[in-house]
Amino acid sequence: MEAGTSEAGRRLEKRSVRTFLYSMRIGTPVERLHTITKVALILVLSTLALHMFNIPVEEGGPDLVGLAVLLLIVLALLGAARVARYLVTSYLVLALPVLLGIFVWWLYFNRGLPGPGMQLYLWPGYVPLGLSTVVLAAALAILYLRTRSVPGPLAAALILWWLSLMPPALDESPIASWARIPFGAAVAVDVPRWALVVAVAKVLGFAVMIYSTFLLLLTTRDAEVAGALRQLGVPYRASFYASLVFRNLDTVMADYTNIRNAQVARGAMVARSGPLARLADLARISVPLVASMIRRSVEMGIALYARGFYSAARITEYRERRPFTYVDWAVVALLAALVVFDVVLGYRFDSMLRLAGYG
Amino acid sequence: MGRQARPGASPQSLYTIESKLQKPMRHCLYSPGSPSCPKMSSEQEHRYPWSHYTLACCRSGPAPPTLYVLYAVQIAVVTVLSYLSVVMLGPLSYSGISLFYFVYPFIIVFTMWWGFWGALAGYIGCVVGAGLMVGLPLLPSIAYALSDLVPFLVMFAIYRGVLARLGVDPLMRDLVDSDVRGYRARKGLAWFWFIVLNGLVLNALSAEIGVGIQYAMGLVPPDAYWFWWIGWFVGDFLAMVILTPILVKGLTSMVERYGLINHGWFT
Repeated sequence: MEAGTSEAGRRLEKRSVRTFLYSMRIGTPVERLHTITKVALILVLSTLALHMFNIPVEEGGPDLVGLAVLLLIVLALLGAARVARYLVTSYLVLALPVLLGIFVWWLYFNRGLPGPGMQLYLWPGYVPLGLSTVVLAAALAILYLRTRSVPGPLAAALILWWLSLMPPALDESPIASWARIPFGAAVAVDVPRWALVVAVAKVLGFAVMIYSTFLLLLTTRDAEVAGALRQLGVPYRASFYASLVFRNLDTVMADYTNIRNAQVARGAMVARSGPLARLADLARISVPLVASMIRRSVEMGIALYARGFYSAARITEYRERRPFTYVDWAVVALLAALVVFDVVLGYRFDSMLRLAGYG
Repeated sequence: MGRQARPGASPQSLYTIESKLQKPMRHCLYSPGSPSCPKMSSEQEHRYPWSHYTLACCRSGPAPPTLYVLYAVQIAVVTVLSYLSVVMLGPLSYSGISLFYFVYPFIIVFTMWWGFWGALAGYIGCVVGAGLMVGLPLLPSIAYALSDLVPFLVMFAIYRGVLARLGVDPLMRDLVDSDVRGYRARKGLAWFWFIVLNGLVLNALSAEIGVGIQYAMGLVPPDAYWFWWIGWFVGDFLAMVILTPILVKGLTSMVERYGLINHGWFT
């Protein structure tokens, strides 16, 4: 009894628990939400983001204010879950080029929009020394200090530098270009003005969806998912097999790493660059990986047999069960209201802002 | 008379039938349309070494838990490989399309072995591995991951329902082996259908579903549609042609020896 009490006491003193991607602090508002609520949250936020950035130009264009509000909500939730710092340090290099790439794609490959056009430089015909140089140096320094690597930060910094060269105002502004080094011919394209608004909207919408997905991964454990499936009435054996998928993710990743290291230790070239070379290297890893997968499955199956999983008429299950509290109901109700307000009734946040006298 | 049947050959295989035929008639098994050959009975026509791999639903009686454990673990494998496909070789479009989606041949092979469960692994792998785990949005992933489910189900149905009766091994062993459990493989025919069906038709269907759904959701710029479509198509095609024969050669016989290949859609 005393051992059980002290063990329970130690467990109660635990401050963090392991999640899909990292770990989360116990006791935060987000950690207390039910898994179903968190899934509903990201589905609703994604739906709202998709709706807001897909509003046609003829109907007023994307709702930039609404997207900004959604992004602030997601960032606030990440902060409340105390995972924002991990997200920034680990995924900044991955997320930033993704968002910049989305901006560039939507700026230059969306020419069919109505309204007046504007000219943007693909290349101004010179290398400016000025504000854009400051942008390049600052971005590279900040990203390098955060990540301690060069390729990713350099790529992101160059994309930011290139974006700062695009406006034609670069030619006239003494702040933007203190000096110019002629290099190549100027290349400019005409894009609709609305393309800039749509590109910004897509970036905001993607950021909402990406960071809300991270919110789920950083604040949810695989045991919670299995427990949620049981609460939804999924049979025990089905939820057990579903939980096997999550439990084996780490194991399979470890197998992959071990096989790769073993092959490198035996002189196989599995670290070559180039996509075709990497494909060939992967082929060498794939056969032992699948073989180990089959061996592990057979062993687990035998272990289940030995424990009466197959033959038992009634199974005493141990599962994590989190109650659906009034906070969960309140969050779900709020999400439903947002969907009705924005998607069903078609109200816009920027219109509300104008009605309130701002803008 | 004739060759002894090799160990492991199906007792009703054409190889065994061959040994019972007169020597001059043996060529009829490989060119049944020849005028000098007697017409084979429907039973003989369908007695390929893979005749027991069909489109039946389930086995009679419950399946052993080992099979379901295997299905769960292979979903985890495909999920991890989907994640590595995006991370290692870079995303093409920054909305989930990997430059070389090298998990594609794994999904092909797993679907041929395990039917619905292999295709389901492709779907979950795309949603979780190439979506959630790299921080891409959940809702679009759930939608366009159908491109990694529907073509594979169609492939399984065509291989087992149609091509298997035309002499093409539904497990694709005839891509790499000259004989399949005593039956002389028709490599040319196998490669023809592999390239046409998997490489061109179903790959195009996958690209159309994937990029089309993303376009409908407003994730792909209108002027970049075909650029992404071609990137998807070429990336999957190259991965498929390079990796699928290697996987088949190295693993199919082992999996069959364990008795783990589905006889129907589900078990």
